[in-house]
Amino acid sequence: MTALLTVTNLSRRFGGVHALRRVCLDVAPGETHAVIGPNGAGKSTLFRLIGGQLTASAGGIVYDGQRIDRLPPHRRARLGIAIAFQDAPVFRGMTVAENAMVGAHAVTRAGPLAAVLRLPRHRREEKEIRTAAAAALDRAGLAAWADRPAEDLPLGRQRALQMARALCGRPRLLLLDEPASGLRGPERTALAGLIEELRAEGLSILLVEHDVGFVSRLADRVTVLDLGRVLATGPFPEIRTDPVVISAYLGAPA
Amino acid sequence: MKWIIALAAAAVVPFFLPPGQLTVYILLGLSAMAVVGLSLLMGYAGQVSLGQASFTAIGAYTAGLLAVHGVPTLLGLLAAPLVAALAAGLVGVPILRLRGHQLAFATLALQLILLSVLGDADWAGGAVGLQGLPYLSAGGFELNQDRDYACLVLAGVVLTTLIASALVRSRVGRGLRALATAPVAAGASGVPVGAYRLLVFAVSAAFAGLAGGIYAFYVGYLAPGSFPVLLSVEYVVMAVVGGLGSIAGALLGATLITLAVQLLTTLATQPGMPSYAPSVLSYAVYALLLIAVVRYVPKGIVPALLLRKGILATLHRRSS
Ligand SMILES: Nc1ncnc2c1ncn2[C@@H]1O[C@H](COP(=O)(O)OP(=O)(O)OP(=O)(O)O)[C@@H](O)[C@H]1O
Ligand SMILES: [Mg+2]
Repeated sequence: MTALLTVTNLSRRFGGVHALRRVCLDVAPGETHAVIGPNGAGKSTLFRLIGGQLTASAGGIVYDGQRIDRLPPHRRARLGIAIAFQDAPVFRGMTVAENAMVGAHAVTRAGPLAAVLRLPRHRREEKEIRTAAAAALDRAGLAAWADRPAEDLPLGRQRALQMARALCGRPRLLLLDEPASGLRGPERTALAGLIEELRAEGLSILLVEHDVGFVSRLADRVTVLDLGRVLATGPFPEIRTDPVVISAYLGAPA
Repeated sequence: MKWIIALAAAAVVPFFLPPGQLTVYILLGLSAMAVVGLSLLMGYAGQVSLGQASFTAIGAYTAGLLAVHGVPTLLGLLAAPLVAALAAGLVGVPILRLRGHQLAFATLALQLILLSVLGDADWAGGAVGLQGLPYLSAGGFELNQDRDYACLVLAGVVLTTLIASALVRSRVGRGLRALATAPVAAGASGVPVGAYRLLVFAVSAAFAGLAGGIYAFYVGYLAPGSFPVLLSVEYVVMAVVGGLGSIAGALLGATLITLAVQLLTTLATQPGMPSYAPSVLSYAVYALLLIAVVRYVPKGIVPALLLRKGILATLHRRSS
């Protein structure tokens, strides 16, 4: 099967810092692919290059058979790439439900004129957006918070809200940058359950996570980054015993 | 319901005001139109414009120049918001790359440039300006009474308010509010951040331009001095005092400030007051009000009232 996402020799420098060096990685349709590595390895940089928040110094990104590395972020979102950022930004001054509704931008079209003239198309779309947001909040366990201002949510819930926002855009590729960090036991389990559900539905997922247990449970394949380079790629059991990976990151298996 | 009462009150007022006071009503309405636009820009899209009166001037001069060249006045009035929006679209491409006070200063600089260009341009009447503009006429009916303009201005306020509130509650409005606080996340959600910034800038300019167009026909003469930087400052103060991101706040802010300035002007033009007293007093009051609002009701009056009554949540529910 051809990959949904193919990253080829991607490099990104910040001044003298090589955040990524000739990174290659692919995500098959329906695959959950974890990216692990120590702090500063370049994981978030990789995600932001794929999402379009950063531009590459060199290399290419092909998504669904199309070069996307020159497209602005909103165009990539329309192609089905959604990203939940590590710092979990929320739209302040908007309710939790409205935050999720913003995510539907990627799959809706009604412009300002349709809204001002209250065209039927606009009203139909609004109804769809509201339904989609309610469903997404439900999945993310946020239904009870729907009418609260987003900034009132505790940080863990703000991460869940990002997930809901991303799902509202019905993505085909979901980038999750440390979605479980700061979550407590039951929240973690719920998140893992949701990710498993999404995988079962055929969504392709690229996931950054430090928790080895989390990764081994969810990921079909793992790519290990260190100092901007790919150390290894493969199924978790292989990675777990790779001597290079062990010495650089994981430490000896217990 | 509340809106209907407010509208009815606003519609009845001109018939009870003595003719001299109608001018205040009309100027208030014109400011309100511009401030509704500015509130969209500042409150919903998080962009500051310290030169919003540029677009009032562009609208006014568009209407005025077209009238001077014999174009039907109604066409001139329609052209005023369009040309203002077009101008905003053109200058917006470079300057909307700036953020925060850089953007504020850039818009201020634009207004200073515009005023000095207008002051030197023979085709725009130079420093003397355009004089003897005709009244607005439509379908054989000439609007030559203050009362006519009061009605026209009220219609303009209603129109801009309806457009603004429909926009805010829509998909596009959510995108605008989102990009105000987290532009990166908004872009990643599919919001075309740059295009929306340009859109709301153009819409706010169109509202100011429409106010300018009505102003031109109402007053009958235009000069660069009719659109001082003080007017832009006044718009900002009105928007902030009423509450950014609240259309009702924009209307309330415009009303309060206009009445306060009116009071001051009466005071400042008492015998014995120096000729610069009105503008000095205005600046002083703007400054004091801004400081007081930022200190005691940082969100502005209307949002503070809503919060106190605990109906913000209901409002959110209704808008979502
Ligand atoms: N905007 C930036 N400007 C300068 N340097 C940056 C920038 N963003 C990232 N870097 C640098 O690039 C390197 C990779 O950063 P990145 O955030 O991608 O790491 P990470 O693997 O996500 O780390 P963490 O696990 O801490 O999230 C780091 O050395 C970081 O300091
Ligand atoms: Mg990171």
